[in-house]
Amino acid sequence: MITLTDISKTFKTKQGTFNALKNISLSIEENTIHGIIGPSGAGKSTLIRVINQLEKQDTGTVGVFEYTDVKKLNKESTRMYRKRVSMIFQNFNLLEQKTVFQNIGLPIILHQRLKETDITLIRELITLVGLNGYENSYPNELSGGQKQRVGIARALVSKPEILLCDEPTSALDTQTIKTVLELIKTIKEKLNLTVVIVTHDMNVIKEICEEVTVMNEGEIVESDNIDNIIFNPQSPVTSGLLGTIGLDIKQFISKKVTKENMFVLLFDKSIINQSLISRVVQIHSVNINILYANITPNNKGIMLIEINGNQSKIQSTIKELINRGVEVKHV
Amino acid sequence: MFSNIDNEAFIKAFQETIFMSFVSTLFVFIFGLLLGITLFATGKQSINQNKIIYQISSIITNILRSIPFLILIVLLVPFTKLIVGTILGAKAALPALIIGATPYYARLVELTLNEKGKYLIETGQAFGASNYKIITKIIIPESLIGIIRGITVTAIMIVGYTSIAGAIGAGGLGNLAYLYGFTRNQIDVTILATLLIIGIILFIQLISDILIKKIQKT
Repeated sequence: MITLTDISKTFKTKQGTFNALKNISLSIEENTIHGIIGPSGAGKSTLIRVINQLEKQDTGTVGVFEYTDVKKLNKESTRMYRKRVSMIFQNFNLLEQKTVFQNIGLPIILHQRLKETDITLIRELITLVGLNGYENSYPNELSGGQKQRVGIARALVSKPEILLCDEPTSALDTQTIKTVLELIKTIKEKLNLTVVIVTHDMNVIKEICEEVTVMNEGEIVESDNIDNIIFNPQSPVTSGLLGTIGLDIKQFISKKVTKENMFVLLFDKSIINQSLISRVVQIHSVNINILYANITPNNKGIMLIEINGNQSKIQSTIKELINRGVEVKHV
Repeated sequence: MFSNIDNEAFIKAFQETIFMSFVSTLFVFIFGLLLGITLFATGKQSINQNKIIYQISSIITNILRSIPFLILIVLLVPFTKLIVGTILGAKAALPALIIGATPYYARLVELTLNEKGKYLIETGQAFGASNYKIITKIIIPESLIGIIRGITVTAIMIVGYTSIAGAIGAGGLGNLAYLYGFTRNQIDVTILATLLIIGIILFIQLISDILIKKIQKT
């Protein structure tokens, strides 16, 4: 759906040149929620803006839909392209002098007069985002969460295929973040959207992202599905981010001196209800020490265990676990 | 008190001041808005960044803004003669008033547009709007209050300028105050002229406040 190839972008500042993006290559699959996370200055906001060409890359190509490189589109085609790739913003970017209804209709008003069908569509979107009764309110009469709902409805009015979210929850409180993320998830399912979310908050990733790209200093540190990121983080940046939501297994591993018999287990919902550990303990007569256990965002079980017993017993225990559908990784 | 007041002369002077202020404010509003939008649109990181046009507009604006008004009138004498035909009377004051106040208003417009400019441009571009639509449908409506506040301050300044122009032959209340109040030491004329000018300024402020109250959405 979105294919970034060898993207580089440099900004000139007073202090010299700043490499915001360094040879970034990334694929984003259709109909997924793809999170891009990293500390500030990692280049993630620039990356998302390259997708809709609010920033033009210095080198590399951005392939989206049928276009091999959207940078080559002329002005008119870029405008048409941007109707298919909508965006919501950290500070909502609503027009203060316009009502909720007018704000949502803005993308249409910028091109033509509102038709009867547009008005119906706007009303449907107001219902979809749960803002019935606020049609004629002005943005500064709304709460932060409501403002972002207006932003979301406005982004959907052009019937986009891709929704870009630039720190959509960073200006919101914890309680509101959840409801806004729920909404994004719902509309993605309903409208078959591809969603790209830039965030610095691992909670956002945990809550709704299926795929995750971790960035640091203009480079992609790693990119994988959320389970693999948690199960098998490759970089200290990722581990650090996982630590912020209590999912940094490495942190628990490093507390132990001998790591010889430590394993990380990842297993599906289907076996979550089986008494897996006590079963293998009985069969293979080993001792298992559970050091850490949690449930991943995709409702998979993740566990860090230490198996005590002789080597052959340990081996057969592991075989047993694998046969039962558990992913096992030696630390 | 008020023994030297000539009603007819005052009515005429009052009308002249109103005429000069109103007509030049109208032109300053149009030219200043256009120049302000040009400065904004060609400025750094704006929709149509253009260093050359920006620098030229900016330098002209700065030069005109730094010439003291009295000297500007004198400098413009040949130009005024060319387009108005005379250098005396209320009409003759218009070129200097317009040229003197336009750069000032243009800077105020540039300032107010820049206030939310960056994110408004981004919003417009993200939804595929052309530069023209970004200016007319987003930036100007969102900056309307600043635009009105700007023209209010400018109009009040223009009223002040008219009395400077009046002192050197443009007519109006300033002329009256100078001619009778100053040279003939008729203090009551000066006081009445001052009161009338204050009245005009309060009226401008009142209209502006009403307008802003009407369009402000809070």
